[in-house]
Amino acid sequence: MVEPGDLPAEMPQTAEVPDKTVRAPAPTLFAAASPRPLGGEPFIRSRHFSLFYGQKVGVKQITMDIHPKSVTAIIGPSGCGKSTFLRSINRMNDLIPHVRAEGRLEVAGIDVNDRRVNLPNLRQQVGMVFQKPNPFPKSIYDNVAYGRRFQGFRHRGELDEAVERCLRAAALWDEVKDNLHKSALALSGGQQQRLCIARALTTQPKVLLMDEPCSALDPIATGRIEELIADLKSAYTIVIVTHNMQQAARVSDRTAFFCLGELIEYDWTSVIFTKPAKKQTEDYVTGRFG
Amino acid sequence: MTRRPPSLDPRHPGRLLRLRGAMDRTFTGLASGSILLIALALLVVLAPMLWRGATAVVFKGTVEFRRMQLEQFHRGDLKDLDAEMAEVTRARQPVYDMLDRFSRGIATDDLEEEGRRLYREFGKQLDRRDTPPGERIELRSLAKQLRDDFTEAVESTDKAAALGALGRVLKHADDPRLTGTVAEGFFRMARNYGHIVETVDLGRRAEYAKALGEVRDAIQVLFGPRPGEPRPPLVMDQYGATRWDMAEKQLARLLTAETWVEVQPGQPLQRAQVPREREFAGTNLAPLFPLMREHAADMLRPQTTLYWQYFLDDSLSGHYFGGVGPEILGTLLVTVLAIALALPLGVISAAYLVECAGDGRAVRLIRTCINTLAGVPSIVFGLFGLAFFVIYLLPKFGLPQGSSVLAGGLALGLLVLPIIIRASEEAIRSVPLTYKEAALALGVSRLRCFVTVTLPAALPGILTGVILSVSRAAGETAPILFTAAVVTGATSWPLWEAVAKPAKTLAYGSYHLAVGDRLAALVPHNQYGMVMTLILLVLILNIAAILVRSRMAKRLRGQ
Repeated sequence: MVEPGDLPAEMPQTAEVPDKTVRAPAPTLFAAASPRPLGGEPFIRSRHFSLFYGQKVGVKQITMDIHPKSVTAIIGPSGCGKSTFLRSINRMNDLIPHVRAEGRLEVAGIDVNDRRVNLPNLRQQVGMVFQKPNPFPKSIYDNVAYGRRFQGFRHRGELDEAVERCLRAAALWDEVKDNLHKSALALSGGQQQRLCIARALTTQPKVLLMDEPCSALDPIATGRIEELIADLKSAYTIVIVTHNMQQAARVSDRTAFFCLGELIEYDWTSVIFTKPAKKQTEDYVTGRFG
Repeated sequence: MTRRPPSLDPRHPGRLLRLRGAMDRTFTGLASGSILLIALALLVVLAPMLWRGATAVVFKGTVEFRRMQLEQFHRGDLKDLDAEMAEVTRARQPVYDMLDRFSRGIATDDLEEEGRRLYREFGKQLDRRDTPPGERIELRSLAKQLRDDFTEAVESTDKAAALGALGRVLKHADDPRLTGTVAEGFFRMARNYGHIVETVDLGRRAEYAKALGEVRDAIQVLFGPRPGEPRPPLVMDQYGATRWDMAEKQLARLLTAETWVEVQPGQPLQRAQVPREREFAGTNLAPLFPLMREHAADMLRPQTTLYWQYFLDDSLSGHYFGGVGPEILGTLLVTVLAIALALPLGVISAAYLVECAGDGRAVRLIRTCINTLAGVPSIVFGLFGLAFFVIYLLPKFGLPQGSSVLAGGLALGLLVLPIIIRASEEAIRSVPLTYKEAALALGVSRLRCFVTVTLPAALPGILTGVILSVSRAAGETAPILFTAAVVTGATSWPLWEAVAKPAKTLAYGSYHLAVGDRLAALVPHNQYGMVMTLILLVLILNIAAILVRSRMAKRLRGQ
């Protein structure tokens, strides 16, 4: 176990495009086992985390740090465990029967797999946006207000204010403010996905997990979501799983490359896409494999 | 052996393709044919039911119907009815007159009785008058002689003998000792009877008497009790034919006699219709039948009536009159209660089966049990309801032991429970997982997720189960046979008191009319009316549920 104190203190705290001279590449035998620090105090910390579906391995021995107020992209071929790892962070894998976790996965210093963890609290802290836009079959207003309502906020004015704030944060307010009470299902796919992001923001999370949020969208809608991610970065810790390597290159600060359930390489995005340390990564990002 | 690849040229299809095309067409034909057959069968079964049932509501009501409505249901205008009744009475008067005139010669019992009464009266008169004893004895024996002669004349089937006997009576008509006494009645009767003997064939008197009885009965059924007669105790006897279709049937009974005639010796007798006119040919009753045929409408005044209160009115004299109001209310009560009991239970069970239970052996056993429960014959639920709810459970809660709407609702609830569980299970299972994921990812508890997201999305499917259950529960007879249904007694008010008491229901009412009630033959329209009401009720409930469901589904689709 690597304690927070072990991390080098001189590492930059914010997520800016790093100067390569500051951070010398330090190849290790097991890149995952002792993560190369890519920033300051991480918000999500994974240490030898493995997840099994019955006997099948979902991810194994993932060790990586995810830093606050930045975008971390996870890329990799299909079935490599990107989504599995992402869903482990807010324990959405619990929905699948016979799931078993090993190792340690911390969010804000708390092991999410601890039996004492308050699951609703965890999920409110770690919001999630799914691959397919999945608004509830309710009105736009009710969709966004849903997250607030069950937290006990019932006052109309407070709800209105929260709905507007979240819709503005998701850059959807101007498009829907006149028909908030129309069904959310009448929106276009891109709007629906932004609505889902707005809904995820209502619980005031610290982390936003995005599981291929643009894979069902056209390029224009994708562009808007990417803009939105860039905007949200200043306030949230964003982890995005994507199949689209250009997207990962565009939106993320750091990129992790998964393959066959293992973390192959984790580095600044610019490094992964220009000078990856591993042959496997290079093959994948250049399109020779995967 | 080599197989030729199927030809791809549409102009020259290979054998395989031709075969496939033929099979496709066959299946399409079979499928559409069977759908057509089902639709046709529905039409064939339902259309006559509805058509005949409609006659309970729309029919030609006679003046008797309006009288019944006024007197029994206080509906209509008394003044109008009185005016109408006066005209009708005037129209009917010749019928009664003719009957009276004819029956004097035929109903000999009356005449004999009258003769005996006159003799007794005369004796009393003699006592009061202080007639000298010698004269009294003489007069008495004379009166006795008169009575016997008159009786002989009346009983005689031979014209000459009858006239002779009457002559012996009338011989004393000028006796001064008898003038001013009741004995004069003998001479009046003898003269009247003399006229009858001239016109009526005395040899056929017994035959006439029987036919006259039938005619009288028919008239009684048509017109009700004669004005001035005491009111019969049964409501159904207080009125004549209230419906023109029933009146026409009676009229046919009045106008033609049914006899059995021997067509060939040794063969079974055959039924034959003989016009009464011919039966009574030559008598002074013969003009009655043309009169009835021509003027029956004047005597009953049929009018097309929309008796919409049929759906509200209580019934009288075991559905002879009135409507099916209590039946509708009872059916609704039992059905609503059954659904109200089964729906929460069914949805919770379905939620457990889908959301909580895994796929263990126990769960599979439970599923099998539910499916088996759906196949249990409904009479078993009825008997179970009797044994468990009526006799055991409900008395523990202070309800009187005996059938009640509550017990019936419970038994029907059990009956429809598997339907609701299965429909709800399917509906809950088919809610997209993404909805649930979205809610859970927001940190919502599983219960809350189910209540706020899964359940609303599953409601249309659950409603499908409710629709099926309503039709089942409203139409079932067996489960309520022992638990809730009665034949008589109105549904009491208020409703929470009605729940503790048995109720009439449409299904049971139809059954009872069909098997148990001699009146059913007299009121077929009521029987069909009840069935039609049941069909309409189920239809209306279904349409309402379907509308609600389609609105919900529309909202869920985002339209």
